[in-house]
Amino acid sequence: MDWPLFLEFSLVGLLSGGLLALIALGFVLVYKGTRVINFAMGEFMMLGAYVYWTCAVPLELPWWAALAITLAAIGLLAAAVERFVLRPLAGQPVISIVMATIGLAAVLHGAAEGIWGGQNLALPELLPRKPLILGELLLPGQVLWSFALAVALIAAFTAYFRLSKGGVAMRAAASDPVTAYAMGIDVRRTQRLTWVFAGVTGAVAGIIVASMTSLSPSLGAVALGVLAVIILGGLDSVAGAIVGGLAVGWLEAVTVGYFGGQARDVVPYLVVLAILMVRPYGVFGTRDIERL
Amino acid sequence: MRIGDFKATYRHDEALFDTPVQRAWLAALALALVAFPFVAGSYYVYLACLLGIHLVSATGLNIVTGYTGLISLGQAAFMGVGCYTVAVAAKAGVPFWLALPLAGAVSAAVGLVVGIPSLRIKGLYFAVATLAAQFVLGFVFREWESVTGGVRGANVPAAALGGFELSGEQRLYFVIVPIAAVGLLAARNLFRTRVGRAFIAIRDRDISAEVLGISLFRYKLAAFAIGSFYAGVAGGLWGYFLRVATPEVFGFGQSIFYLAAIIVGGLGSILGTILGATFMTLVPEVLRAAVGWIEAAGVADAGVYLAAVREVVFGLLILGFLVFEPHGLAEVWRRTRRFFHLWPFRT
Amino acid sequence: MTVFDRRKFIGSGLAGSALAALGTPLRAYAQSGEIVIGAAPPITGVFAFAGAALHSGLGDWVEWKNGKGGIAGRRLRYAAEDSGYKVDQAVAIFKKFVAQYKPPVFYGDSTGWAKAIAPELSQLGSMLATGPSFSSDLADPAKAPYYFMPGPTYSGMIDILLDYIVKNARGAEKPSVAFVYSDTEFGRDPIAAGKAKAAKLGIPVALEIITKPGAVDVSAEMIKLRRAKPDYVIFHGYVLAPIPEFIRQMRETGLASRGMGTIYSMDKTTLDQMGATGAGFLGVMPYRYSFDSEKTPTMELIREFGSRKPNNPWQTIFYTQGWLVGMIFEQVIGRTLAAKKELTGPNMKASLESIAKWDTGGIFGVPVSLKTHAIPVGRTYLVTGKSIEPVSDWITIG
Repeated sequence: MDWPLFLEFSLVGLLSGGLLALIALGFVLVYKGTRVINFAMGEFMMLGAYVYWTCAVPLELPWWAALAITLAAIGLLAAAVERFVLRPLAGQPVISIVMATIGLAAVLHGAAEGIWGGQNLALPELLPRKPLILGELLLPGQVLWSFALAVALIAAFTAYFRLSKGGVAMRAAASDPVTAYAMGIDVRRTQRLTWVFAGVTGAVAGIIVASMTSLSPSLGAVALGVLAVIILGGLDSVAGAIVGGLAVGWLEAVTVGYFGGQARDVVPYLVVLAILMVRPYGVFGTRDIERL
Repeated sequence: MRIGDFKATYRHDEALFDTPVQRAWLAALALALVAFPFVAGSYYVYLACLLGIHLVSATGLNIVTGYTGLISLGQAAFMGVGCYTVAVAAKAGVPFWLALPLAGAVSAAVGLVVGIPSLRIKGLYFAVATLAAQFVLGFVFREWESVTGGVRGANVPAAALGGFELSGEQRLYFVIVPIAAVGLLAARNLFRTRVGRAFIAIRDRDISAEVLGISLFRYKLAAFAIGSFYAGVAGGLWGYFLRVATPEVFGFGQSIFYLAAIIVGGLGSILGTILGATFMTLVPEVLRAAVGWIEAAGVADAGVYLAAVREVVFGLLILGFLVFEPHGLAEVWRRTRRFFHLWPFRT
Repeated sequence: MTVFDRRKFIGSGLAGSALAALGTPLRAYAQSGEIVIGAAPPITGVFAFAGAALHSGLGDWVEWKNGKGGIAGRRLRYAAEDSGYKVDQAVAIFKKFVAQYKPPVFYGDSTGWAKAIAPELSQLGSMLATGPSFSSDLADPAKAPYYFMPGPTYSGMIDILLDYIVKNARGAEKPSVAFVYSDTEFGRDPIAAGKAKAAKLGIPVALEIITKPGAVDVSAEMIKLRRAKPDYVIFHGYVLAPIPEFIRQMRETGLASRGMGTIYSMDKTTLDQMGATGAGFLGVMPYRYSFDSEKTPTMELIREFGSRKPNNPWQTIFYTQGWLVGMIFEQVIGRTLAAKKELTGPNMKASLESIAKWDTGGIFGVPVSLKTHAIPVGRTYLVTGKSIEPVSDWITIG
């Protein structure tokens, strides 16, 4: 058993998992706040990357300006989605909400393809590429930095939710909207804010993914694989998103390493099926699924 | 105005086509369907065959999602199972009238395998499980080269009855349309029976249903298996129609297409299935025609945007119907009918 | 929205759509005497970059030819619709055009499409088809009698690359090679034959990597590549991503392997994206590049005609292919009409196979023949970071 090889796969996998955890955070935020799985998350990621590209390449703005414009734009889009798509459907059965986010994904995907075309675009270099060499192991620079960025963002969000008044209000509105109203919390505002945060998270994750690979309308497909992360970790648990992200990232890298690249896509879904059979609410999720 | 519409026996009350007017219209429809391929251009017959296949699959999905309330995001993958079964069986010499039911049966079996672990959980979790099944099956289609031909796909030999080869849309029309009609009637009839009513009960109030003695797990499994059977038959027909089975065709996008069809048409309604499938099949054609006019009017290369526009329209249709008309086209139809039935009174 | 408004809105929308759908047959059918060239290029979808340029190339050729009086005095009409690189859509477009226009020639979008329509093509016996696929399955006059390809097969291209490796091997030990390809029909097609040829030439295959097509995170695959240390890495089955990423990571991890590519990864835009790290990349291209220093009549014509369009698609190899396909169509149709024969499948097949020692005016550097339903000619190029230079003569395979 080639231990250094296994170690290298594992480390690269865990580091890539950081990015998956970030995307999972976006899903978890939306589910915690509005009890909806946002199937359009991938498209938020993709649009974030496209807006950033438009600012950075044809308009040649510096990266911080491009980033600021991107976050504002996607935040606005997320708020609009919450107001004009989700709000009218409040109280409808689950299938309507699921299909609404899927329909939204189709609209965003088609719009992106129409505006920017289907070909691959290259983002200017964002994360430093210099690899870290530890003896025999080599860790690519971009993977390391994406992990660091993801950790920083997740830590920032966790701090916000735990320590700030706004964050605590959001948690309160998520767990018991009626009491939250009674306590004077504007639940509608927190729900909109939840979506804005999720959109912003997705946009940042999208920019990172696009800078590491390349930008095309199919960038959003990554998000479907992240469903495995949130099922593993629990749909409403931030800690679960982190643990799940690392676990799925590790599993993907090791599988690709030993079984080949074609297995990359199927691993998350096998994880989903396994978890749903054994422990449907995930490792950290709240136990609220009725079982027969 | 409809008057004097009363029934004296339960049997008459439950009849699917109760009035002479309805029966007359049905006979006219049957005649029109038979005559259609002889009067319409070959491209329209091709569209009709495609519509027939979509109808069968959408009916299966409506049974699972519309009538039983189980959100299935993997209908296209089960179609793929049926298509590949037909490819393998036909190559082994199985005649098409055996291969099609076989395709349905294999799909139903795969549905059971997927359903047994997944049907114990509900709602969104079940939806994610079907999504996972969709991608796992897609992986199997791509990698199990010895059976499915891998990414190359599998060629499907032509269906044949005796020595008469059934290839091309003119001939396959007379296979697909009767099968679709039978499938629709069977589904409509299913919901007059005890089993069908159990499905509806599970959708509406599953805990009460269990209290009343309906074994939730068994009936959900039955619904899922029936839906997969329909999908398998539709996939088999697809195989004989397009003569090739490739992995990309049976992806998540196609599953969404069928979900959109039944939502636009109306969940839990066979008429809704017909309206929705027809609408979703015709929308791309209408868009193409529109783009053709725009191009003819002088805007060159408008066709480049056709794919993007089609997707945006698709998504907007789903969103529009969900927000403004949640019960779909079937509800629009019902309102129109009621208007005419009650005229000159208002609804 | 009140119930009344909604109903009116939906009702008028449905009525309008129904009328629109019925209006389709009113579209102009091909006027008599016109020769229709049908196409279902992948203008959108994963192949969009190539498909749009292919579409431009063929369309522009038709326009140019009509300016010259058409073929044998008959006007040409180019009917094309985007297939989105989806087999069922391409098949639908094919069937629609066959019903509407009965074109004698058709340009498709992929290997999957070609296989799907093969039975119908044989049954119709009234047209020849081609497309951007160079899969070896389709270059078989016995199995695919009415299909041809405007270039060598993918296997032929890999053969050229392997021959280059052998010819440039220094020392007694043969260099090792790694195959990196995409999990698609396009990617997998030539690999088995390529491995066999490598074995025959004594070239050890150090590693085989399969990835998803398009952009993907290649860190895990790089770990394996770094340990295998191949001398050459042959990429196939990609149009752009992830080749630049592989090359860049190879340089960063200190791998000295040289990358090699096949036709669709050899367009200048792709190679430019590799920047300085792309220096040393080799590849096979059947066509002359639009910026080749040697001036030739056809390439000058392409430049002159294509530069009238925005975005300069004429500079890509895909535009060249579109133009070449038009020229082949002209040969096939022209020869059949000159022999006073009808434009049927068997007649056009005979005309196609009669094309020998044909001077393409510079697209290929040597006269070519289409007897095998393919054009097995190509040249090896080297990317120097500043330009793309040919490093071999025009090779005819087989």
